[in-house]
Amino acid sequence: MEIIVPIKQVPDVALNIKVKDGAVVEEGLSYVISSWDETALEAALQITEDVGGEVTLLTIGPEKAAESLRKGLAMGAHKAIHVKYDDAKNTDSFAYAKILQKVLEGRKYDLILTGRQSQDTDAGLTAPMLAEFLSVPQVTNIIRFSDVSEQKITLYRKGDHATEVLEMELPGVVTVNDSLNDPRLASMRGIMMAKKKPLEEIELDTIGVTSEMIGSHGSMTEVLHYDKPESRKEGKSFEGDESDSVKKALALMVSESKFLA
Amino acid sequence: MSKILIIAEVKNGEIKKNTLELLSFAKSQGIESDAVLSGSGVARQANVLAGQGASTVYLADDESLEIYNTEQYTCLVTDALKQSGATQVWLSSSELGRDLTPRLAARHNVGALSDVTQLEVNGDDITAERPCMSTKVMQTCQFSKEGLRIISIRSGFFLAEQTSPVDANIVTLSIPEGHAKLKVKEVQVEVSDEVELNEASIIISAGRGTGGTEGCDFVKPLATELGAAFGASRAVCDAGWLPHKHQVGQTGTMVNPDFYFALGISGAIQHLAGMSGSKVIVAVNKDPDAPIFKVADYGIVGDLFKAVPVFREEIGKIKS
Ligand SMILES: Cc1cc2nc3c(=O)[nH]c(=O)nc-3n(C[C@H](O)[C@H](O)[C@H](O)COP(=O)(O)OP(=O)(O)OC[C@H]3O[C@@H](n4cnc5c(N)ncnc54)[C@H](O)[C@@H]3O)c2cc1C
Ligand SMILES: Nc1ncnc2c1ncn2[C@@H]1O[C@H](COP(=O)(O)O)[C@@H](O)[C@H]1O
Repeated sequence: MEIIVPIKQVPDVALNIKVKDGAVVEEGLSYVISSWDETALEAALQITEDVGGEVTLLTIGPEKAAESLRKGLAMGAHKAIHVKYDDAKNTDSFAYAKILQKVLEGRKYDLILTGRQSQDTDAGLTAPMLAEFLSVPQVTNIIRFSDVSEQKITLYRKGDHATEVLEMELPGVVTVNDSLNDPRLASMRGIMMAKKKPLEEIELDTIGVTSEMIGSHGSMTEVLHYDKPESRKEGKSFEGDESDSVKKALALMVSESKFLA
Repeated sequence: MSKILIIAEVKNGEIKKNTLELLSFAKSQGIESDAVLSGSGVARQANVLAGQGASTVYLADDESLEIYNTEQYTCLVTDALKQSGATQVWLSSSELGRDLTPRLAARHNVGALSDVTQLEVNGDDITAERPCMSTKVMQTCQFSKEGLRIISIRSGFFLAEQTSPVDANIVTLSIPEGHAKLKVKEVQVEVSDEVELNEASIIISAGRGTGGTEGCDFVKPLATELGAAFGASRAVCDAGWLPHKHQVGQTGTMVNPDFYFALGISGAIQHLAGMSGSKVIVAVNKDPDAPIFKVADYGIVGDLFKAVPVFREEIGKIKS
């Protein structure tokens, strides 16, 4: 089983994120693998441990994205592909999906496994777009899988009103909900071994990606500016005896906020 | 001329609120809209869509459409687009919308704006606001090329007007094939009479502070008595105290009710991302430094096991 896991290196959203003059402040950001992609990687590792095969990480990103590939290799991925790319600021999911298509055309893969959305954009667009460009089926937002073989896989998709159990013939694209698993930590041995694993570097022009396809030329949407969300107005706090607190809070909820009106 | 094609969603035979919101919003912008109505046994609902403002309803009523699937829906919408001449497609950012939006966009070789919470519409010039980075940042975006506009919109941000059904102008779509390589084996529907999270005006949510299944059972009557939906943090669902459909948050259900009660929930960013749009937030937590208090309008520092019975009793008094 050949599994490709596209991963995106993104700012760690658990840390404080500052915005200034309509842009996210670079300083102080720390970069990590998007957490949903880590869940996808963990699933891919479990599958190859079960039925054999290899997991290939794939990222389109700047020099420093190689750190995330090394981390994924340390977790257990077998090899990695780094597509060198520097224009992240002006690139939307559509353009990334087109570049991913170029990278994957002519390569053998059975399964493409990714996060349901990337932690920086929260867009959730790239993977289904890629599936369409590659003319393969997609199943998004899975919370479980079973019956994996070289030919097919059973996927449990969390839909709006039900869990949909689907059987997909491979190759195909699957995106994961984070509740699928808890990604493993890299071991010391994993970190040592990662240094020796193959990391292929690809320049865009060698795979037929033209300047028309990248950055704002290749993107269909653009971000005009970033802002902090409107902060909520200062709330009221109640301490001490719970019974008193609840009664006071409820009285205000009714008078100020029309609770139960 | 701009025209919007709205993808209708149905649950238990009825048009969902998110669809009514989209139609109302389109109408308020003075732009003509058509709708795609797809499912099994849904034909009757065409009149509801027409009442809400849809000029033409493109109907696909077939057993094979009982459950959403990517390929058939992509084909249906593509067919409806051709016939209607719409220049925009609006979807809700439900799981259906999240799956369909990018596939449809790619089939038409255009981009998409997903999970939008605010829209400014000037014909086909669109400026959208959407949360990103776990709702720590908002981005304002637009389409940068000509072409079809495909947008998915989060529910609860626009008001659905109250309307009555009128006779719909219906165009029947032919039923496309599903994807040959993907088949539905089973659908696990959890039947319940509980209020749905994204339809509720009050939500009572239990966190790890409830301590277990018994703690959740202790909290639940408050929801029942208020006619509220019962939510939970991921910690509660992962521990198996409540099924996953109760999960509120970035990877559970995104909610914005009138009143949200967080009981024993710390307020991790992924939880906040899913509920900080609530109009009024009430929090009960033992820890005065819990991040949930940063977004709470009414923050009660204390034990939820002491607070919940008082809420029940006092609410009972107010109601009677
Ligand atoms: C990719 C990703 C996606 C995620 N998506 C989601 C999501 O969609 N939804 C979600 O909820 N989480 C999500 N999480 C998990 C999130 O980070 C938190 O772990 C989770 O929300 C914590 O749940 P909690 O607040 O119930 O538990 P805790 O953080 O353990 O908080 C329990 C709180 O209860 C309080 N408490 C304890 N006893 C009492 C008492 N007797 N009375 C009052 N207060 C009490 C404590 O002071 C504490 O603040 C996600 C995480 C990741 C990495
Ligand atoms: N630059 C990239 N390199 C590799 N994978 C990517 C890239 N951008 C997006 N993806 C993949 O697509 C997913 C969804 O991205 P998005 O559409 O931005 O939410 C991510 O979680 C990744 O798996």
